[in-house]
Amino acid sequence: MKPELDETSGQETTGHEWDGLKELNTPVPLVFHISLWLTIIVSVIMWVLYPSWPGISGYVKGLAGYSSRDRVAEAVEARQDLRLMQMPEFAALDVAALAHDPTLEAKYGEAIGVLYRDNCAVCHGRDLKGQINFPNLTDDHWLWSGTPEEIEYTLQVGINHLDDDTRWAEMPAFGDGMIERSDLKAVVEYVLRISGAEHDTELAKVGASVFEDNCASCHEEGGIGGIESGAPSLVDDAWIYGGSREVLTETLKYGRQGVMPGWLGRLTEEEIKKLTMYVLWAGQDEEQDDASN
Amino acid sequence: MTTSDRLEIGVIFAATLMVFLLGVAILGFGREAGYVVHGWLIAIVAGWGLMNLINRLNDKQPDIPHEYADTVIKWGVWATFIWGVIGFTIGDILAWQLAIPSWNGDMSWSNFGRIRPMHTTAVIFGFGGNALMATSFYVVQRTSRARLASEVSPWFVFFGYNLFVLLAVTGYPMGITQSKEYAEPEWYADLVLTFAWVGYLWIYMRTLANRAEPHIYVANWYYMGFIVVIAMLHVVNNLAMPISIAYPKSYSLFSGVQDAMTQWWYGHNAVGFLLTAGFLGMMYYFLPKAVNRPIYSYRLSIIGFWGITFLYLWAGSHHLHYTALPDWVQYLGMTMSVILLVPSWGSVFNGILTINGAWDKVRTDPAVRFMMVAILFYGLATFEGSFLAIRPVNTLSHYTDWTVGHVHAGALGWVAFITFGAMYKMVPWIWKREGTYSLRLEAWHFWLALSGTLIYVGAMWNSGITQALMWQTYDADGNFVYAFIDTVDAMRPYYFARAIGGLLYLIGACLGAYNIYMTVNGPRMAPASDANRPILQPGE
Repeated sequence: MKPELDETSGQETTGHEWDGLKELNTPVPLVFHISLWLTIIVSVIMWVLYPSWPGISGYVKGLAGYSSRDRVAEAVEARQDLRLMQMPEFAALDVAALAHDPTLEAKYGEAIGVLYRDNCAVCHGRDLKGQINFPNLTDDHWLWSGTPEEIEYTLQVGINHLDDDTRWAEMPAFGDGMIERSDLKAVVEYVLRISGAEHDTELAKVGASVFEDNCASCHEEGGIGGIESGAPSLVDDAWIYGGSREVLTETLKYGRQGVMPGWLGRLTEEEIKKLTMYVLWAGQDEEQDDASN
Repeated sequence: MTTSDRLEIGVIFAATLMVFLLGVAILGFGREAGYVVHGWLIAIVAGWGLMNLINRLNDKQPDIPHEYADTVIKWGVWATFIWGVIGFTIGDILAWQLAIPSWNGDMSWSNFGRIRPMHTTAVIFGFGGNALMATSFYVVQRTSRARLASEVSPWFVFFGYNLFVLLAVTGYPMGITQSKEYAEPEWYADLVLTFAWVGYLWIYMRTLANRAEPHIYVANWYYMGFIVVIAMLHVVNNLAMPISIAYPKSYSLFSGVQDAMTQWWYGHNAVGFLLTAGFLGMMYYFLPKAVNRPIYSYRLSIIGFWGITFLYLWAGSHHLHYTALPDWVQYLGMTMSVILLVPSWGSVFNGILTINGAWDKVRTDPAVRFMMVAILFYGLATFEGSFLAIRPVNTLSHYTDWTVGHVHAGALGWVAFITFGAMYKMVPWIWKREGTYSLRLEAWHFWLALSGTLIYVGAMWNSGITQALMWQTYDADGNFVYAFIDTVDAMRPYYFARAIGGLLYLIGACLGAYNIYMTVNGPRMAPASDANRPILQPGE
């Protein structure tokens, strides 16, 4: 077929036809040539300035001497200098001393809140009030004491964590035959009684002696909890896993091995001090709120 | 039946038998429920194929009709719309899960991580892949004036390919994945795809070789580029060692930064060749056909083809800016991505200017409107792609929703729009109908899809840039001003907007599927003219 003239465009076709389809022989527009060469020139300049083409055992390093590795190292160093200058109190003082400074919260509370939300809030909640399986940090009920040093230590080594020095506390699974099935029921009723919930009086009486034999070594007589062992108080209204009959039975049967990660190694000592203060401040604010209500 | 026909059936029989044995081995040795179910699935489909092949060898076959082989294309159209509606639905469920996280159902199989690959596989391979296969079989026959070169292979390709998609999509909720984005299916599904894909390449080349036209039409160049490069990408990126026949798990041949680079060489060129080159092939046939105008410039289409083919293969490293990937690979990828803009926009202008002289059709024909807007979105997405590949821009955009918005500008706006436009043209042609069931429904589909896409992309631009700026905000002491969770909170309105945009898009696609269904069930046209037949070759 011969090329033919297309009336609309004034261009000739290539002379081919497929299933009624034709192609115009329009030259490639000038703007295309210009753009193509422009981008190629820009690229060549980039190749000369920056790391680009590989060779046999290396690559073109580029005249600008750029290396993203060096850039990161410089940026990290610059940031570290800045960090040394910020919040100087936390590098200089220990947590006991920091706890006595009432001006810190107003100065740094907001900035430390970001640290808390990025690392702790996923379990303990943005309001620090915990959620099911994760304790409330503001209610003044403590598993390992609420002194600044102890909170700091928990943050450093964690609970049931891989760290050799970690705080270790496991509620055993009593359902494995450690106590009789009927006794299991009785203990649950006893725990319901001491926590002030509705319970079966007869069974609770039996449960009291079972509790004495099996549970009091950690939870102390009467279930008031042991700060030394990390065993929670069973007489207050704070529950980690829940205080209903069903949940208590589950806890007793299968045990609990809740984990809090140790943060040394991931966070700096200063950052752990900051978070310790943040937790303490939240508890104090909560108390003030309660008092004013 | 000629000797070469017998030989061909023999080869396909052997391939199907291997797939069948793979299925039997899996269902026999498999130790996980989902994996065993997959073994049964493979064995049943391949076994049914073997039965058919045996029957074909024994029974006397009717003469090959003197017309184009369109039945497999019809199946491809149905597969396109079925996978499309499934994929869009899962996509919108995911969008709502992001807006309301508790909607992940708190079950392993229904959470975001498991069903997100169901969405991507169903839309890219299920919807996009079937659309490309169906239209490529249509285009290669018409532009070659030759019937598909085999009676059996197209079916082997169609069923093998859709078996692969089905294995992939049903495996993810059960946790069967190799965790490579867009290449999640495990080794046995990859093997099934390899068989199907070799068949696809072979049938396409054979049909082109049988052509009655002196030259190969440009659409076929793009389709061939797509088929060849996808074969290469699929085989290399999925090189892996299965731990045993008893389990679906395998380990990749690559590790560390080599693995990351191989993966994004694959990932970016799946975009470049499946979602771009293949659909440009679609555009180069259906657009000039629909507007009844010659291609604006033959030269531009050829330069565009080679530019895209050469440059895309370098660009994958721009997905790994500021990572462990060596700087020189990053800079090469970045510069090639920038040059890539020029041939991409060459294709855009070649498409748009082809409409010159027929712009009234954009107003009167929703299918043409679909294709015209598709090209505009292609231009937008390729400009954005080159822009985001520039390293300093990438510090802002990387890991944000901007990337998600960019992908969907291309996927919703370009890939699916050009597909809908082509389908509204092709379906009446292959089913020999006067036109689609309802132009009004077509127009509704267009406007729903367009508003859905604009809402989606606009929401993701906003959320992406908001995220990026919040992540990079420090106070005077160098502390973060926002915790990560604060940036998640800030996304909430955009995620709702995105989910609503996606819903509009889904409703549009359902209208489209209904319209196609009603078109097929509509009145029959007069018998086809001789122009719509292959040209007889000597010896036929």
